[in-house]
Amino acid sequence: MHISDGVLPTSLILGCYAGSMVLAGWSARRISNDELPKVAVLTASFFIASLVHVPLGPTSVHLLIPGLVGALLGPAAFLAIALGLLLQSLLFQFGGLTALGANALMMGIPALCCGFFFRHLRGTTRQRHILAGALAGGLGTVGSALLLALLLVSAGDDFLGVAKLALVAHLPVILIEATVSAFVVSFLYTVKPELLRQQPFIPPQKLNV
Amino acid sequence: MTTVTPQIVHLSSALLPLLLIFPIAALSALRWALRTTDANGDREERDWSIPAIDATGRADSCLHRWDVRCKIATLLLFALLTVSLTSLWPTLAALLVSLAAIWLARLPWRNALRRVAAMTGFLSMFLLIMPLTAVTRPADVVLIFGQQDWFTLNLRGLELALLVSAKAITVALLMEPLLATAPLPRTLEGLSRLGVPRQITLMILLAHRYIFVFLDEARRMATGMEVRGFCKRTDLDTVRSTGNFLGMLFVRSYERTQRVYAAMLARGFNGTLPDREEFSLRASDGFISALWLGTALILLAIDRLLPTGVLG
Repeated sequence: MHISDGVLPTSLILGCYAGSMVLAGWSARRISNDELPKVAVLTASFFIASLVHVPLGPTSVHLLIPGLVGALLGPAAFLAIALGLLLQSLLFQFGGLTALGANALMMGIPALCCGFFFRHLRGTTRQRHILAGALAGGLGTVGSALLLALLLVSAGDDFLGVAKLALVAHLPVILIEATVSAFVVSFLYTVKPELLRQQPFIPPQKLNV
Repeated sequence: MTTVTPQIVHLSSALLPLLLIFPIAALSALRWALRTTDANGDREERDWSIPAIDATGRADSCLHRWDVRCKIATLLLFALLTVSLTSLWPTLAALLVSLAAIWLARLPWRNALRRVAAMTGFLSMFLLIMPLTAVTRPADVVLIFGQQDWFTLNLRGLELALLVSAKAITVALLMEPLLATAPLPRTLEGLSRLGVPRQITLMILLAHRYIFVFLDEARRMATGMEVRGFCKRTDLDTVRSTGNFLGMLFVRSYERTQRVYAAMLARGFNGTLPDREEFSLRASDGFISALWLGTALILLAIDRLLPTGVLG
């Protein structure tokens, strides 16, 4: 769930923009300049992944995938998420332009944390990978939900009820997100394990240029 | 000294169902309006359709002729000033300005409506919950229906939710004049002239381009799954298939990423795209910007001078 325009006070908007710019700059500096176009193209695939709906009883939920992006991209995840959110707000109006900084922090910080956990917990076996993937997927959603609630409450104590409701609405998503992430990681472990090493930007055969 | 207590208004409990009818009717009217304008009306198709943001970019109007740099800077500032408003009437006036801009630029209303519809879920959560959960302050008006004193409606909560919705819709509507009045590469070029690093605008352009490529890829894969009898249910098999679907999407896009990058290098890519856009500032550009910002500042001044109160 993204925060729309008009919820956060101006000071919080500007603060979140400043914070996410610092993190995006840090994220961009962690990868070399030549790799930025590759992150952009991969971001497009994460964008499509976030459109996938999983049925849940009479309704359906769409995936947030901050944990998965973190697990796959590592430090570059923040940049990819900020870019994906910008495009979501430009194309669909999911989240607003003025709330972009806040939304980037809300999804990007959990992604960076999950990337860190995944890197250290994945081990070498398939089971460990799957476990780390599920943890990243679940924790990514938990982190986003908590940050969303925190942002809403810091916008004013009148928003407390909405914050609680948003937290409850995320509960089923956490479970689905963890399971889907586990399956994605399991699939990638079999099919293309180099994608799970968080350095997908080094081509298998170094291009001679 | 007298203490100010919340003003409590008792209403007949027969009015209670009316409260539910109104938001539900508004929501379904919007859904219905979009459903009938959808080209194929296919519910499955809805999640997969991505609107072209600059389809009307080459049309002509006073907003199309407005310098892109001025337009971006002015509209972003206008959006920021709008979300700084604190009372309802100035915000509704800003909403009218947004509507007028779409009308002046002769942009299709359907795209604007689609943007508003995308926010209904989030905003209706505010509209339904805020009147019930807002903290009761002195000088608030609280509605109580019949004898049910567990069910109270705080009008200030409702006002706050309406304010949030009005601001969100105003900024959402501004996105149309901002994006749909110039081709996307030109808008992004304007953005980099305003100081955004060229690598970033290139990333936006590339990601936007490849969204449509991967959408095609995902659609093809989804068709293949359907042909093989895949049917979405609430069970583990669906989740496993979705996981494999996403994994395959990532593998294919990763491989495509490598090919795309090699092809870019082969064509002499050196980190940024060549800049082909010509920009020139005219007096009218400054005039339009001044008009927008003047309006926003007047609204902000009115907003700060108005006494804050229920629906004031």
